[in-house]
Amino acid sequence: MTTDETASGAPQDAASIGVPEDAMRRLAEMRPGQPTSLFTSDLSVNEFLLVREAGFRPLGLVLGSSIYHVGFQMGKWSQNQELGTLTQAMYHARELAMTRMEAEADLLGADGIVGVRLDIEFKEFGNDLAEFIAVGTAVLGEDPPATGGTWKANTGKPFTSDLSGQDFWTLLEAGYAPLGLVMGSCVYHIAHQRFWQSMGNVGQNVEIPQFTEGLYDARELAMSRMQAEAEALGAEGIVGVQLLSLPHKWGGHTTEFFAIGTAVRPLRPDHVISKPQLTLPLSG
Amino acid sequence: MTWDGQGLPPAARARIERARTDRIATSLLSPGGQAAVQSVGLDPVGEVMGCIVEQIGWSGWGGCGVMGFGGRGYLAASAPTVTSSRGGYGGYRPYVDALYRGYDTALSRMLTEAQALGADGVVGVRWTQERLGEGGAHEFVARGTAVRARSSIRPAYLFSTDLSGTEVTRLIHAGWVPAGLELGISVSIRHDDYATRMAARSWSGQNVEVPGYTELVTYARADARDRFEQRAARHGADAATVSDMSLEVYSIEPSDGHVDHVAHATVLGNAVLRFHAGRAAPTRSLSVLPLTR
Repeated sequence: MTTDETASGAPQDAASIGVPEDAMRRLAEMRPGQPTSLFTSDLSVNEFLLVREAGFRPLGLVLGSSIYHVGFQMGKWSQNQELGTLTQAMYHARELAMTRMEAEADLLGADGIVGVRLDIEFKEFGNDLAEFIAVGTAVLGEDPPATGGTWKANTGKPFTSDLSGQDFWTLLEAGYAPLGLVMGSCVYHIAHQRFWQSMGNVGQNVEIPQFTEGLYDARELAMSRMQAEAEALGAEGIVGVQLLSLPHKWGGHTTEFFAIGTAVRPLRPDHVISKPQLTLPLSG
Repeated sequence: MTWDGQGLPPAARARIERARTDRIATSLLSPGGQAAVQSVGLDPVGEVMGCIVEQIGWSGWGGCGVMGFGGRGYLAASAPTVTSSRGGYGGYRPYVDALYRGYDTALSRMLTEAQALGADGVVGVRWTQERLGEGGAHEFVARGTAVRARSSIRPAYLFSTDLSGTEVTRLIHAGWVPAGLELGISVSIRHDDYATRMAARSWSGQNVEVPGYTELVTYARADARDRFEQRAARHGADAATVSDMSLEVYSIEPSDGHVDHVAHATVLGNAVLRFHAGRAAPTRSLSVLPLTR
C-alpha cells in the first residue's frame, strides 16, 4: 500500500461506503436458524481484520490441552544445576498441547495458526498438576505466496506463530513468512550461598559470581535450545522473542527460563515496507 | 402489587418511557467510542439494562454417574467424562440450562428496553452473573448502549455485541456487522478412576500426562465451543469471534472415598455478519507509526 492510496482512501465518510444502510440491509435479511458455514476465531477485531487484509481467511479457533503431572526433582543445596526432569516435563507437556492444537488445524485444512498463546496453570486440586494449553486461530491463505511454494512450514505441517494479527500483517508486508513457534526451556536450580560466604558479604556491595553464572547458564541453555529448533526448521531468524523467568511453584531458587519466538523465512530478497505516516495520537 | 414477570418491571418501563420522551441519550461508551459509532451512522439513544434474579436450586444429580452414587464408584477402572450436553444419569444439564435461561433473559430484557427506545442494536454489552448470599439465588445482568442506525432499513431483530464502540466501527468499515452476543457453557464431570489416581499421585515423582484430567478439560472446552458455535449459527452468522474463554476445575466428594472432578468451561463471543461481498474491504486501514513511546 502506498501512502497516496491511504491518503485518498482514509477520509471516506460513512455514507460513501454504504454504511449503515448496507449493514442494516444485511441484518434485515437475517432469518435466524438458516444454516450457514460459520467459522470461529480467537482474534480481537483488529487482528481479525488485519489477518484478512494480509490475505488470509480464519478457519476456526484451534486448541490443544494437556493436564500433566510434573515429576519431582531436588537440586543440590549448594550447586548450580539444571533440573533435567523438570525441564523435560515442561517440554513434553507443551509439545503435547501444541501437537493437539496442530492436529485440529490440520483437520480444518489450515495453512497456519496465528496468535498462538501457550499458557501453564498449576492446578489447585492436585500436587504438581499443571494444565498446559495452546490456543490459536487456524488460517488459510487466499492465494499461495507470490514467490511460489506454499504457506505451510517445510515440515508439511501448518505454520505456527505467536505474533498478534498486527505483527503478522507487518511481517508479511516486509516480505517474511512465519515458519513455526520455537521455544527453549531450562529449569535451573541456583545454588544457595555457603554460610561463610554469605557472612563474608555482610554489609558489602559485591557481585555474587555464582548467582550471575547460574543465571547466565540457564538463560543461555534456554536460548540455544530455541535457536536449535529454529535451525531445524531452516529459518532465517526468530522474531518477537520473549525471554521469561517463570517461578512456577518450586521455591525461590528453582526457576524455569523460557525462550519463545516465531521463526521466519524470507519471501523475497528485499524487505522494504511502505513509508508509514507519522501520527500524534490524542489519546493518553 | 408485585410484578407478574411479563415484559419489563414497572420501574424499567417508567425509566424507558421518560428516556423516550425527554430525548436525553445516556451512553456507557467512552467519548472515543461514542464519536466512532456516530461516524458510521449509529447514534447512541440510551443506556439499557436487563436483569433477572433466578433461583438455581437443583444443579443435576451432582455425581459422575459411576456405580450409582455410592462409594463403590471407587472401584471403577475407567470412567467416561459426562458433559452437560450429554446428560445420562450424571451431569449438570439442569444447572447449565438454568445459566442459559439467566443470561438469555437478561439479554432479551435489555433488548426490550432498547426496542422501546427505537434502537437497532446494543453495543458494548457487559454480561455479569453474581450469586446472592448463601441461598441459590443468582442475579444475571446485561447492560449496554442502545444505538439507532441513520438508515431507512430496520433490521429483522436487534443486534447485540460486547465489542466497544471503536471495535464496532472498525468491523463496519471492513464490511462486517455484529449480529448477536452469544455464549457457550459446559459443566462436565469425570470420576477419578484408578488410572487417573495412579497418574496424579504426588509421590511418584514421574513426568506423566494425566489422561483422565486432560480428557475432562478437553471435553468440557469442546462442549462449550460446540454450544457457542451452535448458538452463534442460530443468528445465521458468517463468523463468530471469541472474546473470552475460561475454564475452572475443582474436585467434589459426593460420597465417602468417591472423588470426582468438575470442569466449568465458558466461551463468550460475537456472531458477525458480512455485508460486503468483495474480497477487499470497502475501506482500507491506514498504516501509521504512532509517535507515542
